[in-house]
Amino acid sequence: MSDAQQPDDTTAHADHEGHDTEGPGYTTPQAAIEESEPEKIAYVMGLYVGTDVDAPDFLGVVDIDPDSETYTEIIDRVEMPNRGDELHHFGWNACSSSCHMDGLERRHLVIPGQRSSRIHVVDTKDRRNPELESVIEPEEVFEHDLSAPHTTHCIPDGQILISMLGDADGDLPGGFLALDENFEVDGRWEPPGEIEMNYDYWYQPRHNVMVSSEWAAPKTYYPGFDMDDVEAGNYGQRLHVWDWENKTVEQTIDLGEEGLIPLEVRFLHSPEATHGYVGAALSSNVFHFHDAGEEWRAEPVIDVEAREHDGWDMPVPGLVTDLLVSMDDRYLFFSNWLHGDVRMYDISDPANPRLADRIWAGGHFGDPAPVQDRELAGGPQMLQLSLDGERLYWTTSLFSSWDNQFYPEEAEQGSVMLKADVDPRNGSMSLDEEFLVDFGDLPDGPARAHEIRWPDGDCTSDVWQ
Amino acid sequence: MTSGSSAHDVILVWQDGQEGSDEREERLSVGEDEIVLTAAECAGVALPFGCRTGACATCTGKLLDGRIEHARPPRALKERHREAGYVLLCIAEPRSDCRIVVGSSVQAELVSNPWQ
Repeated sequence: MSDAQQPDDTTAHADHEGHDTEGPGYTTPQAAIEESEPEKIAYVMGLYVGTDVDAPDFLGVVDIDPDSETYTEIIDRVEMPNRGDELHHFGWNACSSSCHMDGLERRHLVIPGQRSSRIHVVDTKDRRNPELESVIEPEEVFEHDLSAPHTTHCIPDGQILISMLGDADGDLPGGFLALDENFEVDGRWEPPGEIEMNYDYWYQPRHNVMVSSEWAAPKTYYPGFDMDDVEAGNYGQRLHVWDWENKTVEQTIDLGEEGLIPLEVRFLHSPEATHGYVGAALSSNVFHFHDAGEEWRAEPVIDVEAREHDGWDMPVPGLVTDLLVSMDDRYLFFSNWLHGDVRMYDISDPANPRLADRIWAGGHFGDPAPVQDRELAGGPQMLQLSLDGERLYWTTSLFSSWDNQFYPEEAEQGSVMLKADVDPRNGSMSLDEEFLVDFGDLPDGPARAHEIRWPDGDCTSDVWQ
Repeated sequence: MTSGSSAHDVILVWQDGQEGSDEREERLSVGEDEIVLTAAECAGVALPFGCRTGACATCTGKLLDGRIEHARPPRALKERHREAGYVLLCIAEPRSDCRIVVGSSVQAELVSNPWQ
């Protein structure tokens, strides 16, 4: 344990204004790297929605401590009270952006149901045996003419902000729902109508900026991907740059045909940085966005080429479905779900990413060699990286109806969680063949697995003030 | 409202991949102003569902016989789906005796892989 974690020590937290108190998280991204212990458990979304398994979705607690007897096992499951949620993304009630908030703890997980619009609050005081604490029913969400909750971030004053992709009918516009510090609906965050489509977002409070992306109306993407919707312009291709304090859109960037379906938004972790990335899933690109002074700009910096496949009539497009930036801001990782690889790029020059390494596992082009005799259905999808940047984990499910379209066998086999060992010094990765968490082997039947979070903060949710 | 007293026989059919093989059926009595999904839940019959507002299509069934009316617009179904007989059981009310194919495989029929 470092001095910075001693309750009466203030020196480590006094490196800039507001950091002379003891809140949750770490004072800087570098402090997160230095002071954190290697992750011992992972929280992973597990789901049954859209299958004939008569069971609710769950929060899975996965043992990832190599010294543990239950290593790579799902040691606990918190079942939700209802079926049909499609648990998807989730977040902490507090992250490093709250490190000035005396007494606040990183303790509660806020877990929305993408399809049900129900929001669950889970208490993780006992990290290995979390408990469901409270539930916000869909009707309370629909009252604010919002549905389809997606990204959950804590915001620095103790509130929770959730991007909402639709109105109460699953149509447009979407918006943002705020919860108060007691996990009750506080109301709509922004003036309604600031945006039409919504998806993911990231904020950089020191620069008073937030960037949000666009998927589509829930009624468009819920049933599955339909090319007719692309032609009808029902899918997003824009980024919205917000005034964080005023909660208003200051600039909208149309990414054009190269930026169709911009999904995950990641700023660099340094609170000084004004650079970030967004993956455009359908057009197979990664965009770099940055503050160019008078305005924000976004340019495609990585392009995944479509590939011919024997079993397909058309070249298989890349599908950049998740990406993340290492805590030291040196590497960008992304998943290429349809092809089946995870890529690692050196981003020391943020506008010119350089491919450092990649791993093939599953997907339509990955070496079909099973891991530990387990056939892999699906390609690499939701990613999570250890705070020290040395272990990369991923799951294989995207969204139940889209899985059925592109990897129908995943419904019968369930997802897996895999891991790569990363060497940040040499810019390389290797698949850890000893690591396999099998979501296909559960008492209720095979489950899909989605987003991964660490108890002590992670590369896809922690923000610094 | 007294029309709820008129109930219809709704037969739910699960198909297991191969046409006609391994079919399972459940018979429900569903009132005219009763939602099929709700009636199934009351009878202890599990059907897939999600949003319960007609937006997500997780509960999609395919009507083989009979008449269904949706209590709200079936936003998740496109014109071509409605013409082919697909219905959303979370907002579906029977208007006659019905026979409906149900189960998760029905939703998967709505869209196919556009590149394959």
